[in-house]
Amino acid sequence: MTVETAPEARAEGVPRRSFLKWSGAAGGAAALVTTGAHLGALPGVGVDNAVLTTGALSVDRTTWSACIINCGSRCPLRLQVTDGTIVRVLPDDSGDDELLTRQIRACVRGRSMRQRIYNPDRLKAPLKRVGERGSGEFEEISWDEAFTLFAEKLTYTIETYGNEAVYKQYGSGTWNGLLSTSGGWKRLLNLMGGCLGYYGNYSYAQIGTCTRFHYGNTDEQMSNSFEDSAANSKLIVLWGNNPQETRMSGGGVLFTSMWAKKKAGVKIIVIDPRQSDSVVTLADEWLAPRPGTDAALVAGMAHAIISEGLQDQAFLDTYCQGFDEAHMPAGVPAGNSYRSYVLGEGPDGVAKTPEWAAGITGVPAASIIQVARQIALAGPVNITQGWGPQRHANGENQARAIYTLAALTGNVGIPGGGTGGREGYYWPVSEWFPDGDNPVTAKISVFGWTDAIVRGPELTKLKDGVRGKDKLDVGIKFMLAYAGNMLSSQHADINRTREILSDTSLCEFIVVVDNQMTASAKMADLILPDTTTAERWDMAPSEYTGDMAYVIMCEKAIEPLFNSMPSYEMCTQIAKKLGIEAEFTEGRTEEQWVRWLHEQTRAEHPDFPEFEQLREQGVYRYTDPDGYTVPLKAFRDDPVANPLETPSGKIELFSSELWEMTSTWEFPDAGPGDKLTALPEHVDTWEGALEARTNTAYPLQVIGHHFKGRTHSTYGNLAWTKEAHPQKVWINSSDAKARGIENDDLVEVFNDRGRIRVPAKVTARILPGVMSVPQGAWFAPDKDGVDTGGAMNTLTNIHPTPLSKGNGQHTTLAQVEKVSK
Amino acid sequence: MNTEELPMIIFTVLAQMSVGAFVVLGVVQVVAARRFGAAAVDKVTDPALYAIGPALVAGLAASMLHMNDVTNTLNVVRHLGTSWLSAEIVCGIAFAGLGFVFAAAQWFKWATPTWRRVLAAVTALVGIALVASMSMIYYTLVTVPAWHTWATPVQFFTTTFLLGTLAVGAALTGTVMWRTHHRTTADAHDAASAGATVPTTDLLASCLRGLGIAAVVLLGVEFLIIPLSITTLTATGGVAAESATVFTGAWFIARLTLVFAGAGLLAAFVLRYATTRTNPRTLAILTATAFVLVLASELIGRSLFYDSMTRIGM
Amino acid sequence: MKLGFSFDQSLCTGCKACSVACKDKNDLPVGISWRRVVEYSGGSWQQAGDTFTPNVFSYYTSISCNHCEDPICVRVCPTTAMTQGPDGVVSVDADKCVGCRYCEWACPYSAPQFDPASGHMTKCDLCADYRADGQDPACVAACPSRALGWGPIDELRADLGDLAGVEPLPDPAITRPRLVITPHRDAQPTGTGTGAIANPEEL
Repeated sequence: MTVETAPEARAEGVPRRSFLKWSGAAGGAAALVTTGAHLGALPGVGVDNAVLTTGALSVDRTTWSACIINCGSRCPLRLQVTDGTIVRVLPDDSGDDELLTRQIRACVRGRSMRQRIYNPDRLKAPLKRVGERGSGEFEEISWDEAFTLFAEKLTYTIETYGNEAVYKQYGSGTWNGLLSTSGGWKRLLNLMGGCLGYYGNYSYAQIGTCTRFHYGNTDEQMSNSFEDSAANSKLIVLWGNNPQETRMSGGGVLFTSMWAKKKAGVKIIVIDPRQSDSVVTLADEWLAPRPGTDAALVAGMAHAIISEGLQDQAFLDTYCQGFDEAHMPAGVPAGNSYRSYVLGEGPDGVAKTPEWAAGITGVPAASIIQVARQIALAGPVNITQGWGPQRHANGENQARAIYTLAALTGNVGIPGGGTGGREGYYWPVSEWFPDGDNPVTAKISVFGWTDAIVRGPELTKLKDGVRGKDKLDVGIKFMLAYAGNMLSSQHADINRTREILSDTSLCEFIVVVDNQMTASAKMADLILPDTTTAERWDMAPSEYTGDMAYVIMCEKAIEPLFNSMPSYEMCTQIAKKLGIEAEFTEGRTEEQWVRWLHEQTRAEHPDFPEFEQLREQGVYRYTDPDGYTVPLKAFRDDPVANPLETPSGKIELFSSELWEMTSTWEFPDAGPGDKLTALPEHVDTWEGALEARTNTAYPLQVIGHHFKGRTHSTYGNLAWTKEAHPQKVWINSSDAKARGIENDDLVEVFNDRGRIRVPAKVTARILPGVMSVPQGAWFAPDKDGVDTGGAMNTLTNIHPTPLSKGNGQHTTLAQVEKVSK
Repeated sequence: MNTEELPMIIFTVLAQMSVGAFVVLGVVQVVAARRFGAAAVDKVTDPALYAIGPALVAGLAASMLHMNDVTNTLNVVRHLGTSWLSAEIVCGIAFAGLGFVFAAAQWFKWATPTWRRVLAAVTALVGIALVASMSMIYYTLVTVPAWHTWATPVQFFTTTFLLGTLAVGAALTGTVMWRTHHRTTADAHDAASAGATVPTTDLLASCLRGLGIAAVVLLGVEFLIIPLSITTLTATGGVAAESATVFTGAWFIARLTLVFAGAGLLAAFVLRYATTRTNPRTLAILTATAFVLVLASELIGRSLFYDSMTRIGM
Repeated sequence: MKLGFSFDQSLCTGCKACSVACKDKNDLPVGISWRRVVEYSGGSWQQAGDTFTPNVFSYYTSISCNHCEDPICVRVCPTTAMTQGPDGVVSVDADKCVGCRYCEWACPYSAPQFDPASGHMTKCDLCADYRADGQDPACVAACPSRALGWGPIDELRADLGDLAGVEPLPDPAITRPRLVITPHRDAQPTGTGTGAIANPEEL
C-alpha cells in the first residue's frame, strides 16, 4: 500500500471540525481501530459543544506534562484527559508571582500542544521510501520490517565503512526530557561501536567555541543572572539579546528580565537591528547596528571609553591579557594589543573612533559615545549578549568583542556586573539517561555534516575543524535524524542540502524518527513514527531559567496514537534484533528508567520529592544555595588561586592560542572574513554590511529572528500558532516603498541560492536596509522550486564560520520584489 | 464590489423599490384619478400594484439568506425596543401584510374606495417607516463612520423614490403596451372596445411626464449628495477617510454612469415622446431600459455602501 | 458587582498565549478568536549620511470582550440573544441567535465572532464556568507576563485607574468598556492617529 504522506490540503479558515479529521483515519491499520474510539470525542468539535468539555469539571483525570522543545525555557502543562483523549491543556497552577517561586506559565506554543498531538501531520505508521529520495512517496510497513531494515542497514554500514560512517544528526525537536532527549538512540549506537560525533550546536556554535580562547571555557561563558541584576545592577545591556521573545516562558527570563525592569527599575539598553519585543517592553534606549557589525560597535565604544580614560585599568592590568602593550604574552610584536587596535596603533593604522564605527554600524557616533559613557560610568553593569550576534560569518569575533566590553569596564565577577555572556542561570541537577561512551573519537562541527557527506575523507583538523583525529577516513553513509528538521529546514542552504541528500550514492541510508511529517522526514528512506511527550513517561528539567531551577513530571497521559511508538521502545526492539537488548535496557522499561533516573537524583539530592509525590505536585522548584548567579566570582576574588583555563590564566582579550592558529589554520577557499584574529576585531565578511552597499543584485541584509509562533521549526505546522503568528518577512517601510510593496503584499525574497514567497510585514520596526525572515518555517517548495513556506534557510549560506566552523545563518544578502497577483 | 452582503444588497434595494413604487403608485392614482377617473386609472395601475408583492417577497426571501440560522428567524422581532433591525423586520412584515390586504381589496373590490384609500395611505406610511428603520440600522452604528452620516437615510430614500418612480413607469408602459397588443388582437372580434385607447394612452403619457420629472429631480439629488457625502468622509479623516476610498474606481464610475444614463434617458425621451401618438411599445422599451439601468446602478451603489463599512477600533 | 478586565500594556509582548489558551479552553477553530492582540506601531528613522536613528514606537493590546457598561452589541441585537447578566458579563445565547452579524458590525472591539459552522455569533463570557469553579479565566491564567487581570471593575479602577482610551481602541464613551489599561510608555491617546494597526489581518 502506498501511503500519501502529504498532509491533507486545507485552507486557513476551514473550521477545525474538518481540520481535525484525521488524514488516513480510514486507512485500516490495527492501531487506528483502537484510536478510532477517540474520533467521536475529539477535542475541537465546535463552539457550540465547548460547554461539554469545558472547565475541567467533568474530565477523567489531569496529568502533568511539559513542553519539551528547544526554546531554552521549559514549561509544565497539565493535560486534561477524557476517554483517553486530551481535551484541554492547562497552565501551571503551582507557584506564585514572586521572583524565585514563580509560576511557570507556558507561552503560546506550549498552550497549542493539543494541536501538535492531534495533528493531521502526525506520522501514523513506519514508512519505507518507494519513490526517489525526497519525493515523499512511501509505503507503510510493519514495525518488525522496520526494525529489521534498520538493523540490517546499520550492520551493513559498520561492516562496510566502519562506525565513523554512522552519524546521529543534531536535532532539538524533543529537548530536555531526561529520557526523551536521547530517546535511547545514542546509547544504542554507542553499544554498536559508536558513531561520528559532532561538537557545538546550531544555537551558539561560535560563542560556544571561541569562549575557550577568551575565558577558557569549553562552552559559552554565562553572565550574571537577571535576578542578580534586579538586586545589584545599575544598568543592563541586552546586546543582540531578546529574552521577551526567544524565551517567552513566564517561568524563565521573560519573567526575570521584566522583574529587573518593572520591579527593580534597572535601566535597560537594547542593541538589536530589529525593534524586538524586548525593545518594546524593556528598553530605555535602543541602538540598531547593522547585522554583523557588533565588534565594530564595541571598538567604537572602546575608543570613546579609552579616550576619556573611563576604562577600569586596574581590572585590565590584573585580570586580563592583551588590553595594552604592557600586558601582552612574550614574543608577540608591538601593536597587537586591543588598545593599540582601537587607537589605530596596530598594523592597520586605523583609529576605531566612534565616527569610524558609525560608518560601519550605522549607529550615529554621538549615540555610540553616549551609550559607551553610560556603560563605563553607570556602576555595576550586566552586559548580556544573546546568540544572534555570534550567529554570523565571523560571529566568533562579535561574541568576543562583547565579552571584551565587560572586561574593559571591569564588570566581570562582581554582583550587579557580568561577563558579557548570556544571562546566568542555575543549572538543574537532575540525572540524565546514560548514553554511554562513544568509542569513535572523531568529531565534526555540528554544521559540517553536509560537507562530511560530500567529501568526508577530505575533511581535516586545520582546514575543517575535525576534532579527535587529524582527518576523517570516510564520509557519512548512515544517518539517523531523531526529532529534528535539519535535513530540509534548519540547516543552511536548503536547496543545496537537498541536492546533497538526494544523491543516494553519498549518504546511503537515512532514518528519520519524528512524530510529524516534516520536510526533513520526506528526505528519509525509513521513517519511524515517534510519540509526543503526552504518550510516554519522562521528566523535564529546567534549562536557562535564571536562578530558579526545577524539574517537571511528564506522566504518560494517553496511549500512543495510531501505530506510533516511543523512541525508547523502538530502540529496545532494534537492540533485540542486534542482539544487545539486555545491555541496552538493563532490564528496565521506559517508565522504570524514568523512576530510576529520579532515584539517582534523589540519592544526591534528598530534598527532591519522591516520584509519586512529584506526580501529584508536578513541579519541584529549587535554587542555588550560594545565591544569585555571579560567574567568575572566585576568579575576581583571587585570580591567582582561581585562574581561568586560558594559557595565561587570565581573560585573554588577546588570545595566545588564536595567535598561534592564525598561522597554522588553513583557509583554501577563503572568502572575505574567513580568517582568525587574536583580538576580537571587526572583520568585513562575505555578504556582510559592507558588501551590501555595493551588491546591486542583493543589497539587503537578511537576518532570521526567532519567532513567537515556533521554536525553530517545532510547532510550525499548527493551525493555531500559524493563525496567531503568520510567517512574514519584515521589511522597513522605506525599503518597501522603494519597491512598491505595501503591508501584507505577497513578496518574494531571493538570492542565488533560492527564493521564498511570503507576505510582507512592512514596518518601521527594522533598520532600513535589513529584512528579517523569522527562522524555522517549514520548507514547502512549489513546482518551480519557490519555497512557499518561507523557510529562511532557503536563502542562507552553507559556508562555515572560520573558527567554530559553525552556522553564520544571519549573514545573508538578498533582494525582495512584489509578486504580481 | 461587495458580494458577501449580496442578500442584504438585494433585500434593501428591492424593499426600497417596493416601498417607492407603492408610494408613487398612490400619488399617480390620486393625481390621475381627478382627471381620468378612478376606474380608468385602476385599470392601468392595478397590475403594477400586484407586481410589488412578488418584488418585496423576493427581497424578503433574499434577506433570509443573511440569517445564518434560519431556525431562529422568528427571534428577530424580539428586540423592538432598541434594535432597529427588529423594527425593520416588523415594518417589513407589516408593509408586506398591509400591501397584500390592499391588493386583495383592490382585486375583489372590498370595502369602499375611501376605505381602500385609507388602507393604502397606512400601507404607504408603514413603507416609509420600513425605509426609515432600514436606514437607521446603519445610521445608528456610531462605530461605522461611513454609515453614521445624514447621507445614509437620504440615500436610502432617494433610492426608494428613484427606483419606485422608474419601476412604476416601466410597469405602466408595460401594462398599456400589453393591453394595446391584446386589444389589437381582440379587434377582429370586438371593434367596440376601440374607444378605450385614447384616454389610456393620454393617461400614460401624462403619468410618464410626471414620473420623468420626478426621476430627473431625484437624479439631481443623488448627484448632489454622493459627492457631498464623500467629501465629508474624506474631510473627517481616519477610518472615515479610509471608507471614502471605496467610492473611486471602475465600479463607482459605472454606478454614476448607469444612473445618469437611466434617469437621463427616461427624462429626455419621455418628455419628448410621451404623447398619445407614440407607439406604446417604444415607450415600454425606453422605460424598461431606464429602469434596468438605474436598478443596476443602485445595486452597485448599495454594494459599495457595504464595502465602505470600516469600523473604528480594532 | 460588575466584572471587567485589567491589562498592563507595558508588559505585553504580543505572544498571544492568552488568545490560544482561550481557543484551547473553548475549542475555537481558526478564524474565531475571542481574545485578540493588536499591534500598534508608528514612527520613522532619521537618516544622516550612513547612520540611522530610530524614532519608532510599538505596543500591543490584548482585547477580548470588555463587557461594556453600554454594550452596543446588546443594543443592536434584534433577537435578544445578546444579553448582559447581573455581573455585567455579556454573553450570547446560541438558541436565540439568528446569525445576522449585526453585533459584529457594531462592536468596535471585534468581540462577537461569527462561527460559520453553527451560524451563530460566539464570544467571551469571561469563562463563566471557570469563575463558578473558583478559577481565573483562561486568558488571565495564561499570560506569561502577568499583563492580564480580572475582577470587580470598581476595584480594578480603584487600584489601576480608569484609562481605556488608547489607540487603536475606540473612544470609551461609545460603549463604556469595563476595561482598565495600564498604558505602555508610548501609548497614544485614542483619536491621535499617530500610528497604525500593524497586524490588521490577525484581528
